[in-house]
Amino acid sequence: MITDVELPEPEKSLPGATVNSDQGLLMWISSVDHKQIGIMYLLMALFYLFVGGLLALLMRVQLLVPNNHFLAPDAYNQLFTMHGTTMIFFVLTPAILGLAVYLVPLQIGANEMAFPRLNAFSFWISLFGGLLLYFSFLAGGAPDAGWFSYAPLNQTQYSASPGIDYYCIGLLLSGIGTVATAGNLAVTIITLRTPSMQYKYMPVFVWMVFIDSFLILAAFPSLNAALAMLLIDRQLDGHFFNTDAGGSALLWQHLFWLFGHPEVYIVVLPPFGVLSEVFQVYSRKPIFGYPFVVGSGIAISLLAFGVWVHHMFATGMGHTVNSFFAVSSMLIGIPTGVKVFNWLGTMYGGSIRFTTGMLFATAFLVEFTIGGLSGISFAIVPIDWQLTDTYYVVAHLHYVFLGGSLFGLFAGLFYWFPKMSGRMYSERLGNWFFWLFVIGFNLTFFVQHILGIIGMPRRVYTYPALAGYSALNLTSSLGAFLMGLSMLVFLYLLYDALKRGKRAGDNPWDGYTFEWLTSSPPPLKNFTTLPPVYSFRPVHDLNHPEIGDYKKPDEEKYGTKDID
Amino acid sequence: MGDQNSVDEYLSAPRSYMETLSMLPSLLRPAAAQADRIASLTAYFTIAALLVLTIVIGLLIYIVVRFRARPGDAEPEQFTGNKVVEGFMIGVPTLLVIVFMYLTLDTMADVLPPDSGTQPDVVITGHRYWWEASYPGTKAIVANEIHLPVGRRLLLHINAADVIHDWWVPALGAKMDAIPGRTNHLWVTITKPGVYEGACSEFCGAQHAWMRIKVVAQPEPEFRDWVARKAQVANPVLSASAQAGAAFFSRQPCGSCHRIRGTAATGAVGPDLTHFASRRTMLAGLMENNPDNLRQWLTDPQHVKPGALMPRFIYPKDSINVLVDYLSSLK
Amino acid sequence: MAQKTLIKLIVGSETIFFLALLMAFVYFSYVPTLNPRLVSRLDLTSTGLFTVLLLSSSFTFWRAEVSFRRGQTKQLRLWLIGTVVLGIVFLFGQGLEYRTLFREQLTISQGTFTTSFFTLTGFHGLHVLIGLIILSIVIYLAFLGDLDDPDSVLLPSVGIYWHFVDAVWAVVFMVVYVLPHVLADSTL
Ligand code: HEO
Ligand code: HEM
Ligand SMILES: [Cu+2]
Repeated sequence: MITDVELPEPEKSLPGATVNSDQGLLMWISSVDHKQIGIMYLLMALFYLFVGGLLALLMRVQLLVPNNHFLAPDAYNQLFTMHGTTMIFFVLTPAILGLAVYLVPLQIGANEMAFPRLNAFSFWISLFGGLLLYFSFLAGGAPDAGWFSYAPLNQTQYSASPGIDYYCIGLLLSGIGTVATAGNLAVTIITLRTPSMQYKYMPVFVWMVFIDSFLILAAFPSLNAALAMLLIDRQLDGHFFNTDAGGSALLWQHLFWLFGHPEVYIVVLPPFGVLSEVFQVYSRKPIFGYPFVVGSGIAISLLAFGVWVHHMFATGMGHTVNSFFAVSSMLIGIPTGVKVFNWLGTMYGGSIRFTTGMLFATAFLVEFTIGGLSGISFAIVPIDWQLTDTYYVVAHLHYVFLGGSLFGLFAGLFYWFPKMSGRMYSERLGNWFFWLFVIGFNLTFFVQHILGIIGMPRRVYTYPALAGYSALNLTSSLGAFLMGLSMLVFLYLLYDALKRGKRAGDNPWDGYTFEWLTSSPPPLKNFTTLPPVYSFRPVHDLNHPEIGDYKKPDEEKYGTKDID
Repeated sequence: MGDQNSVDEYLSAPRSYMETLSMLPSLLRPAAAQADRIASLTAYFTIAALLVLTIVIGLLIYIVVRFRARPGDAEPEQFTGNKVVEGFMIGVPTLLVIVFMYLTLDTMADVLPPDSGTQPDVVITGHRYWWEASYPGTKAIVANEIHLPVGRRLLLHINAADVIHDWWVPALGAKMDAIPGRTNHLWVTITKPGVYEGACSEFCGAQHAWMRIKVVAQPEPEFRDWVARKAQVANPVLSASAQAGAAFFSRQPCGSCHRIRGTAATGAVGPDLTHFASRRTMLAGLMENNPDNLRQWLTDPQHVKPGALMPRFIYPKDSINVLVDYLSSLK
Repeated sequence: MAQKTLIKLIVGSETIFFLALLMAFVYFSYVPTLNPRLVSRLDLTSTGLFTVLLLSSSFTFWRAEVSFRRGQTKQLRLWLIGTVVLGIVFLFGQGLEYRTLFREQLTISQGTFTTSFFTLTGFHGLHVLIGLIILSIVIYLAFLGDLDDPDSVLLPSVGIYWHFVDAVWAVVFMVVYVLPHVLADSTL
C-alpha cells in the first residue's frame, strides 16, 4: 500500500560532511550539519542554564535572611540582570533554536537546512554574543539595569560601567544569529518538505517552529533598533533615552516590549510544539483537534504583537490605551486555553506511558496553567497597578518560563534523547530528577506570589524583617537549593546514559514522525527514501497500517466532522 | 505634639503575632477606597482563577488515573477531535474574558479618573534613593515619612528627579511610576488612620531596596497641625554643642545638597533636613533614627548605604558628635 | 528559489527595523508639535535631487535584470555600473549634507532631533553602502562571465534588496524632508 519515494540527493556534498569524523573537536567546529549544530545549540543552552542557575543561587543566598550582607548591592544588581538576560537570550532562545534546527529537517523529510553555512554562522555568532556579554565581568562590570534595562537608568550618567555597552553588543550579535536562523528555518520549511507533505500534514512541532520563525523575524528588529539607539546614546552622546537632554524614557519601553512580549511567546511556542508530539506518542493517540492546536498558535502569534503595553500599565497612560491592551492580553488566554484543553483531550482515552518526558509534560499542564492565570491577573489593569514590579511578577515569569518553556523543553529532551544519542537514559534517575525539580520549583516560586501580595518589590538586594518576609524567603531559597541539587542529578543522568545507556533502537517510543524512521543517532545523510505522507503521522501510518490515519477522510483526521 | 504621640502609641503598643501580621502591607488589607475596589476585584479574579485551575487539575487527575497504560494494553481508539468540545473550550473562557473586561473597565474608571486639573494635595518626587513630598499651598517639604489626612479624596502628583521610580503603598491602592519629564497622578481616599508601609517598585539603581515609604494617615485636625509645623523654618533651641554643630554644618559642603529652611543651606539633591529629628527612621527606612545610627552614617555613608549619593567626608570624631547633636535637635 | 524567499524574509524584518527608527524620529520631531526651526535646516532641493538619483538607480537595476534575462551581457554590465555610480553619488550627497550640518554645530549629540535624524539617515546610508559592496561583487562576477546562467537567482535576489533600500529612502525622504515642509508652510 505505502510505497517509498526516492529522496533527491543534495547536489554537492556539504563542506562539513567531508571532514573526517575522527578529527574530533575540529569536526564540530567546522560542521555545517544541522544535527551537529542543533546539538551545539543545546549544549550552549545547557551550559548557560548552569551559569544562570548559579547566579540565581547566589541571589537566593543573599535573600535567605533579611538585612543580609552576603552580597553588595551592586553585585546583586549585576547578578539579577545577568541571570535574566542569560536565561532568556542564552538558555531558552538557543534551546528552542537547537531543537528546531535538529528536528525540523528530520521531521519534514529533508537532509539539511536550506542554508547550512548560514546555520553554522548563526550558531557561532550567538555563542560569541554570549561570551562577549560575560566578558563584561572582566571589563569593569556586568550590566546592572535589569534584563530590560529601562531608560534613563541605562544611560552613562546612571550606569557608568561598560556593562550596558556589552549588553547592547552581545545581544545585537546573538540577535543577528537568531534572526538568521529564523529565516533559515522558515525557508527550510517552505522549500524542503518532502513533496507529499502538504502544510496540513506538517507535524505540530514543525508548525510551531514555522510560526515562531515569523515571530522572531518580526520581533527582533525592534530590539535591535532599540539596542542600536542605546549604543548611540552611550557611545556617541546621543539623546534618544537621555531624559536629562530631552530624550524619552517611554520610547525605550515601547520599543523594548514591542520585542519583549513577542519574545516570551517565541520561547514558548516551540515547547508547545514539543508537548504536542510528546502527548500524542506517550498517550498512543493522535493529537486532539489538530487544526485548533495549529490555529491557536497562529492566533497567539498575531495577538502577541498587540499586547506590549501590558508591561507599562503603571506608567500613567490613558484609560483608552490601557483598556485596549487589557482586552488583547485577556484574549490571548483563549487560544492558550484551547491548547491546554486539547492536550487534555489528547491524553483522554489514551493508554498513557509515564516516562520522564511524559511526567514533565503532565506537570507542565499544571504549572503553566498557574503561570497563565497569574498572567491574566496582570491583564486586569487595576490588579496590575498593585502587583506590577513585585515578587508576584517574578513568580509569574518563572511559572511560565520554567513551568512552561523549560518543562516543555525537558519533555522534548527526554523524548528525543534516544534519537540524538542512540542511548536510553535511566528512567529511575529521570524520576528522581523530575520529582526533585518539580518540588524545588514549586517551593521556590509559589511562595513568591504571596511575597508580592504582601508588598515585596522585585529586584531588591535585601528586605526588612516584616512579618512573613523571612519565612517565605527562606522557603524560596531552600526550594532553590533543591532545584540546584536536582540539576546535579540531571548531569549524572546524562553522564550515566551516555556511558552506560542501553542502545536505543530506531524508534523506541513507537513515534509518529519521520525522525523515528532513520537510525539513532541519524547518519549524516538523514534519509535516502521516504514513504509518501497521507497524514500528520506518517510513521504511525507505516507501522500501524490497520489503524493508520491515511485511511480516513480529512474531516476525521482532524476531528472537524460534525457530531451526528 | 498630638500627632506624634498618637502615632508613636500606635507603633509601640504591644501586639500579638496575629496583630503584627495584620499590620503587613498588603493589597488584601485595604485602607483606602481605591485599594478596596482593587481588593474586591482581586478576590473575584482569584475565585475564577481557582475554578479554572480546579477544572484543569481535576480533569488531569481523572485522566492520569483512568488512562494510565496497563500491561498488555492494545492501541486505544484513535479519535482526533470533537467540534462540540472545541466549542466549549473557546466559549467558556470567552465568557470569562467578557465578564472580567467589564469589571476591569469599571474599576479603572473608579480608581484612577483623569487628573481634574486642580491643585494637587501632595507632590511626590522620587530621588535616588529617597522620597520627597511637598504640600502645595504650604511651605512644608518632608522626606520619606509622609503624612496624609484621612477621609478626604486626595490628588497626588508623582514626579521623578533622575531615573524612573515607582510609588507604591499597597494598603492605599494603585502604584504609579515616577517618570522623569512627566507628571503622573493618583487619587487616594484613606479610610483608616494608621501607618502604612510602602516601597519604590521600579528598579532605580544600587539602593533601590532601601527606598521605602512610610505613610502616616491621621485625622484631618492632627494632619493640619502637622503640616503647619512642618511648614515652619528650623528654629530649635540649641545646646552649646548643637550650636557648634550648626556652625560646622554651615562651613562644610552639606548645604549644597541639603536644605534646612531658615538657614543658608538650600540644596535639593538630598533630603530636606529642616525637621530631621521628628522622623522615626532615616535613610528611607534603612534604620531607626537615633544618634548612634546618625553617627555611623556621618562617619561613612558608603558603608551604611553603599551607592547612596552622599559622599564620604573625613571629619574628626568631635565634629561628627556636634553635627549629630545639631541634627538631633531639628525636631 | 530558497535564496529569494530568504531575502524577502530578511527584507521584511529590516522593514520593521527601519519602522522603529522612523518611529523614534517622528516621536521627537512631530510630537507634540512640529519644530519648524529644525525643518528649515534641511535642504529640500539638493536632497530632493539626490533622492531622484537614488530612485533612478532602481530603474537602472531593473534594466540590468532585463538584460540579464535576455542574456545581453554587455548591457548588463553597463546598467550595473550605472546603478553603482548612482548609489555612490547618493552617498556623496549624503556626505555633503552631513558636512553642512556639522558646520552649523548640528551634530548627533546636539539634541533629540539630530540624534534621531542622523541615526535614521545613517542606518539607511549604511544599507546603501552594503548594497554597493554587494553590487560591486556582482559586477566583478559579471565581468568574470559567471553571470550567464539565466536561471540564476543571484541577480533577482540582490534586486529585492536594492529596491528595498530605495523604497526605504522614499519613505524617509517623505517623512523627514517633504512632510515637515508641507506642514510648516501650511501653518505659516
Ligand atoms: C513563556 C513566557 C510567558 C508566557 C507564556 C506568558 C503568558 C502570559 N503573560 Fe506574561 N508570559 C510569559 C512571560 C512573562 N510575562 C511577564 C509579564 C507579564 C505581564 C506584565 C506584568 C507586569 O510587569 O506588571 C502581563 C500583563 C503578562 C500577561 C500574560 C498573559 C495574559 C499571558 C497569557 O498568554 C497566559 C495564557 C494562559 C492561560 C490563561 C492559562 C491556560 C488557559 C485556560 C486554562 C483557559 C481559561 C482561562 C481564561 C480565559 C482566563 N505577563 C514577564 C515579566 C517580564 C519582566 O517584567 O521581567 C515574563 C517573562
Ligand atoms: C530557565 C530558567 C529560568 C529563567 C528563564 C529565568 C528567568 C528570569 C528572569 C527573566 C528574571 C528577571 C531578571 C530581571 O529582572 O532582570 C529572573 C529573576 C530571578 N530569578 Fe530566574 N529564571 C530561571 C531560573 C531560575 C532559578 C532556577 C532560580 C532559583 C534558583 C531563579 C531565581 C531568580 C531570582 C531570585 C530572580 C530575581 C528576581 C528579582 O530580583 O527581580 N531563576 N529570572
Ligand atoms: Cu507580555
